[in-house]
Amino acid sequence: MAGAKKATPRFRRNYELATGIMRFSAARMYHKRGTALNKKTKVAKKAVAPVAKFVTKKVGGSKNGGDRKVLVKKGPTFLKEDHVLDTAAKVRRNPKVQSLRKSITPGTVLIILAGRHKGKRVVFLKQLEKSGLLLVTGPHKLNNVPLRRIGQSFVIATSTKVDVSGVKLPETLTDAYFKRTHAKVEKKGEKADIFASGHQEYKVSEQRKTDQKLVDKAVLTAIKKHPEHKFLRGYFSTRFSIRKNQQPHAMVF
Amino acid sequence: MAEAAPTVARKNDPALNGRLYVKAVFSGFTRGQRNQNETSSILKLDNVYNKNDAQWYVGKRVVYVYKAHNKKNVAGAAPSRVRCIWGRVTRSHGNTGAVRAKFHKNLPATALGQRIRVMLYPSNI
Repeated sequence: MAGAKKATPRFRRNYELATGIMRFSAARMYHKRGTALNKKTKVAKKAVAPVAKFVTKKVGGSKNGGDRKVLVKKGPTFLKEDHVLDTAAKVRRNPKVQSLRKSITPGTVLIILAGRHKGKRVVFLKQLEKSGLLLVTGPHKLNNVPLRRIGQSFVIATSTKVDVSGVKLPETLTDAYFKRTHAKVEKKGEKADIFASGHQEYKVSEQRKTDQKLVDKAVLTAIKKHPEHKFLRGYFSTRFSIRKNQQPHAMVF
Repeated sequence: MAEAAPTVARKNDPALNGRLYVKAVFSGFTRGQRNQNETSSILKLDNVYNKNDAQWYVGKRVVYVYKAHNKKNVAGAAPSRVRCIWGRVTRSHGNTGAVRAKFHKNLPATALGQRIRVMLYPSNI
């Protein structure tokens, strides 16, 4: 308030009585402000053809009064208030990618626990962005494991690490690259045939081969630089297995 | 785990002596003296002797593998007589390393005393 130095505390013209409830409604405030009186806009009234609200329809039966007035525009069967639950905020499904275990860093040697490559020791390259799966490579020369994706749960991370900072992965290695492509199913009675024959023969594409060579070359040089490279070669070539009297729960990997 | 390089490169070596599961025995269903609960099985794991160690196995998947007379179709392989019932380790049982498991289908009584495989996945290492 201009000029007043020691003004007695005064409420604003419009104030909150309780959360979200103002003393005066917006409409009241509009009128209080006096701007309404200054408004001069006047809309010319359009000539509106009066729409019949009712339509008289004939009704049968001698005791039914002959006709009924039927509303032309019926109101809604259900009020908006009845559908409050239906319009609840639809949450967008953005599943988070599973976070990487602390023990898994690029270059860690992993032991694959399931699948056709179970038991094999493999180099971890990176976690793929969209699916969260781990991208690994044998290297193929050592244990026949190609560039492949695995889930984190199916892998044990060992403490052995290879320095793969020098390995540059091609940008093309994404989830789409690894996604399985199924040949179109012929529905002309071929269904039984497909199940009986099992997998369709998978052919390695040339792109995969070149990518494999590129990545493996870098990974193998990284392995060679490792202080224990002499043993690592055999390490990668052999499979892990549980022997007699070994206790996985007590093992330090 | 440093091992000397083998002289023969065994590239396409199928996991012959590659056991990637822990051996366990199906020792019975959870039970009181006179009643048993077939939905929950008790497994005695090899080389696991206390509750702390058994806790490591909780959540791991478990299979009962058995053979039957008739061949059944197997996904991605020839039809075979080998069948399995999968399950999971649910909790430890007692103080001496036994463990409870629940299978997708309750284990048959013929499995009592039989071998059950406790896999190492889902792994948390």
